[in-house]
Amino acid sequence: MYDLLWLIPFFPFLSAILLVVLGSRMPRAVNGAIGAGSIGLSAIITIIIGINFLTSPPEGHSYTQVLWSWIDVGNFTPAISFHLDALSLVMIFVITFVGFLIHLYSTEYMIKDEGYARFFAYMNLFVGAMLVLVLGDNLVLLLLGWEGVGLCSYLLIGFWYKKPENGYAARKAFVVTRVGDIAMLIGIFLLFMHTGTIHIQQILDMAPRIWVEGATIPVAASLLLLGGALGKSAQVPLQVWLPDAMAGPTPTSALIHAATMVTAGVYLIARTHVIFELAPAVMTIVAVIGLVTALIAGFTALTQTDIKRVLAYSTISQIGYMFLALGVGAFAAGMFHFMTHAFFKALLFLGAGAIIHALHEEQNMFRMGGIRKDMPVTFWTFLIGCASLAAIPLVTSGFYSKELILWKSFSSQLGSVWFYIFGALGAFITAVYTFRMVFLVFYGEKKTEISHLPGTRILLTLVVLAFFSTVAGFIELPHTMGDFTLFSNFMASVLPSVPVLEYSLGTEFLLQLIATLLVAVGIYIAYVLYVKNPEAVNNLTASPAGQGVYTFWSIGWGFDWLYDKVFVQPVIFISRINKQDFIDSIYHGIAFATEVLHRLFTKTQTGKVRWYAMVLVAGAIIVITLAVLL
Amino acid sequence: MSTTDLTALLPFIILAATTLIVVLVISFYRNHFITALLTVIGHAAAIAVLPSLSTITPRQVTPLMIIDDYSLFYIGLLTAASLIVSVLMYSYLQRREAQREEFYALLLIATIGSSALVTSSHFITLFIGLEVLTVSLYGMIAYLFTYDRPLEAGIKYLILAAASSAFLLFGMALIFAETGTMLFAELAEKLAADDDLRTVFILTGTGMMVVGIGFKLAVVPFHMWTPDIYEAAPAPVTAYLATVSKGGMFAILLRYFIELNVYAYETICFVFTVIAILSMFTGNILALLQNNVKRILAYSSIAHLGYILVAFLAGGALAAEAVTFYLVAYFITSLGAFGIVGLLIHNEREPEDVQDYRGLYVHRPWLSAVFTAMMLSLAGIPLTAGFIGKFYVLTAGVGAALWILVIVLVVNSAIGLYYYLRIVITMYSEPEETAAASGSLSQSLSVAGGVVLAFLMIILIWLGVYPEPLIAIIQDIAGRFGS
Repeated sequence: MYDLLWLIPFFPFLSAILLVVLGSRMPRAVNGAIGAGSIGLSAIITIIIGINFLTSPPEGHSYTQVLWSWIDVGNFTPAISFHLDALSLVMIFVITFVGFLIHLYSTEYMIKDEGYARFFAYMNLFVGAMLVLVLGDNLVLLLLGWEGVGLCSYLLIGFWYKKPENGYAARKAFVVTRVGDIAMLIGIFLLFMHTGTIHIQQILDMAPRIWVEGATIPVAASLLLLGGALGKSAQVPLQVWLPDAMAGPTPTSALIHAATMVTAGVYLIARTHVIFELAPAVMTIVAVIGLVTALIAGFTALTQTDIKRVLAYSTISQIGYMFLALGVGAFAAGMFHFMTHAFFKALLFLGAGAIIHALHEEQNMFRMGGIRKDMPVTFWTFLIGCASLAAIPLVTSGFYSKELILWKSFSSQLGSVWFYIFGALGAFITAVYTFRMVFLVFYGEKKTEISHLPGTRILLTLVVLAFFSTVAGFIELPHTMGDFTLFSNFMASVLPSVPVLEYSLGTEFLLQLIATLLVAVGIYIAYVLYVKNPEAVNNLTASPAGQGVYTFWSIGWGFDWLYDKVFVQPVIFISRINKQDFIDSIYHGIAFATEVLHRLFTKTQTGKVRWYAMVLVAGAIIVITLAVLL
Repeated sequence: MSTTDLTALLPFIILAATTLIVVLVISFYRNHFITALLTVIGHAAAIAVLPSLSTITPRQVTPLMIIDDYSLFYIGLLTAASLIVSVLMYSYLQRREAQREEFYALLLIATIGSSALVTSSHFITLFIGLEVLTVSLYGMIAYLFTYDRPLEAGIKYLILAAASSAFLLFGMALIFAETGTMLFAELAEKLAADDDLRTVFILTGTGMMVVGIGFKLAVVPFHMWTPDIYEAAPAPVTAYLATVSKGGMFAILLRYFIELNVYAYETICFVFTVIAILSMFTGNILALLQNNVKRILAYSSIAHLGYILVAFLAGGALAAEAVTFYLVAYFITSLGAFGIVGLLIHNEREPEDVQDYRGLYVHRPWLSAVFTAMMLSLAGIPLTAGFIGKFYVLTAGVGAALWILVIVLVVNSAIGLYYYLRIVITMYSEPEETAAASGSLSQSLSVAGGVVLAFLMIILIWLGVYPEPLIAIIQDIAGRFGS
């Protein structure tokens, strides 16, 4: 049964090729069927393999499928081989299942777009690359998937390439993540150099034996890998590309934010957690970065007017929570939040897409409002997604995963009470901005008329995702609510839990209560400010201090401004004063020299036999002289 | 001569018999299709018996020929290339005015010569094999003798090849004069036993042989004929020149060097190092701004032989592996590239100018995809056989610490990219709506030629993605040379 593993990435790639080659000649219905169907097939196989894995796990809770070795020269033997364990299983389940739903949604959502086949080709390639990334058994495949994901994000963000700003957003995403990619590449080389192997499992086996905790190499390697993770997962300081990535079609945003791309960094750290554990200082950096990101992005989300940008910042913020979990050693908790987040964030993006479509492509929340009666399914599912994002207790999956992270950030050996305090603050802000969005979009007066209502495929997708956004949380319940740990038990074979300090149930309950109260207060504040008394907001932002803070938050804490001043302007300045690029002149010189040589050498090709014979003899004389006299 | 000996020679017997049949059929019933079909069947039969022969290898058949796995592999490679050329030439001759049928007899004889070359264990076989190949090639190059250019090319090749053969023969004579034997095995013993044998005679002899061999391989400074002949000969014959003729020579050069351990002669290795560097630079620089596709391919083949020499100079089992793999990749791409030029012949004119390919993508997306794949493979882009080959060569070079050669190779790969990509870009540019261009690009293609090209492209990408089986075979046969 596990033999089928290779088919999971194969189908997306196959259909991507089909769509590229034949897409424009086939009707849209066929394009859509191939595009979504291929991911559907992958999802079915994933589920079959998953059930098999749960009922009769393979030996050692992992399975490696070696298809063939690509090159077999010397010690360098990169194989096309896939590694299946609990971690990659969860990843591929989310990627294919959520990915399939997003594709299904897109078949309806994108139907009027002229680039229909191209869109599905990119999307399939994206999913395929992501699957290779998480299934790859060696660093070469990991890198291949990693770069593939980067390329596809570029293609999809700039999908409507005729508008220059979309192309700009695509380039920004590519360049910013590239900064991290370079760091990761060096990290990979470092690991390869010191372990002599490119097989991830071998490296992880060797690492604790050849390095002591806090040694230079694991610290350097984990820092470099972290750099890659920060870029792909849009964490501070490399988070600036993600809000602009909203330029792509909405299903693309859903795919980037929920199932692929931004979770690559989380996966990378979870996969190489052995190396990170050898560098406790780096672990703390991971946690701090996660927390800082969660807060910065949360505050920014409070001030956004574009619904997609609110969701974008909420993604950055939620990934921050995952990083916090990884940083305190609660790897399973991070993966748990990754899974629940994938469901509710896909739901929210797709719901937002449906709303935007219905309102003449309006994205500004302040020009929406009062549509809950007209779009009941969209409203209820969106509400479920928001409830999960805000972590409303007991009935949402987001609650269970976020509580687990907050509890671990407090109780883990690597945790601290400060992590908890700021984490809870983040949860409070999340509740505020999430329900600000709900109230602005669905309540109040209607400001834009609804032009067309979503069809069955869109609604079906939303309902399915809403269902999973609710129930996915029940597979892991905290100690205070039955101590049911199906998920972390399942992950234990790959991601062992870091020792936890002993605390009483009372403490845990108290902390949960605090976080819950904060969420409730947050929702209430949103209600007061945006439904009951909208004037209050205006008064707040009208005051000079309020205005300053508002502006500061709304531009994302000025990172774009800072980078513009520190990196972009100086580069432009230098290139301007260096228009007659003197470094270029070296290359021009080389090109010129080869050209001159070319003209010179061409003169030797006279076409005359006597000259050719002469050269032959001259060559013979030189060769014999060299052979004999040297 | 025992039955087993005859069995070992079965590929030769089949090819020779096919030649006779072809000649007889021509004299009684001229039919281009039947002649070509017989030729193809003969080639296929010769290839088909090869796997079964590996049970009796290695076998010394008379002192002259050795049939081992190495020769079998190369006979297979050369015959397969010859088969593909015969199909391409069939499509080509269908569009040209000529006496068509005799060509196949020449082709078969040339392939016999080239195959005999790789089995040599004696100077006589080496020379006779080479001459059988070369003399047939005169006829093949000038086959369309009613046209000026092929005829001129044939005569040029005749004069220069004869001169270079004289060098080769004289070199052999000198070595024979010094050692009293022409058997490789005995030569190896004598040279190994007695260091004093490194006399002027031996060194001069080897040097002269290098001239003859270098001419066949078209490496600098014996490359002058290459562009002229490549340009003027019919495109499929050019493909044959680039593959079968060079491949056979390289195979025997490698065997000769390893068996006689010529690697111990520093001066000879130095000569080859210089030749390799010069070939890489000269080939690539001459191709750089060239506008004639066939000349570009000619110059690029000079450079590619330089690359192979890098692996060759590394020595040892890895060298044999790398050389063989690279040759396979080079065969596929050369056959494919020249095959396309030949297939697109229109109104008695081959599309030689780069501009002739402008907009090929619009008229023939598949053909331009094949051409693109061939160019990318020549440039050594991953997921093609050319990349694996180049990687192999680099590994061999790095392993033997031939740093200068490796650096030159890398630099030249960069130069090479320019002219390969130039052809690719031209194919995907907007077509000019002139009647001449669209005429040659929009005519119907021969089915057989199309099938062969599709096959070549599949193999090319197959070997780029999944080279494991071929590598296993090559490692197996190269293992013999390892020690």
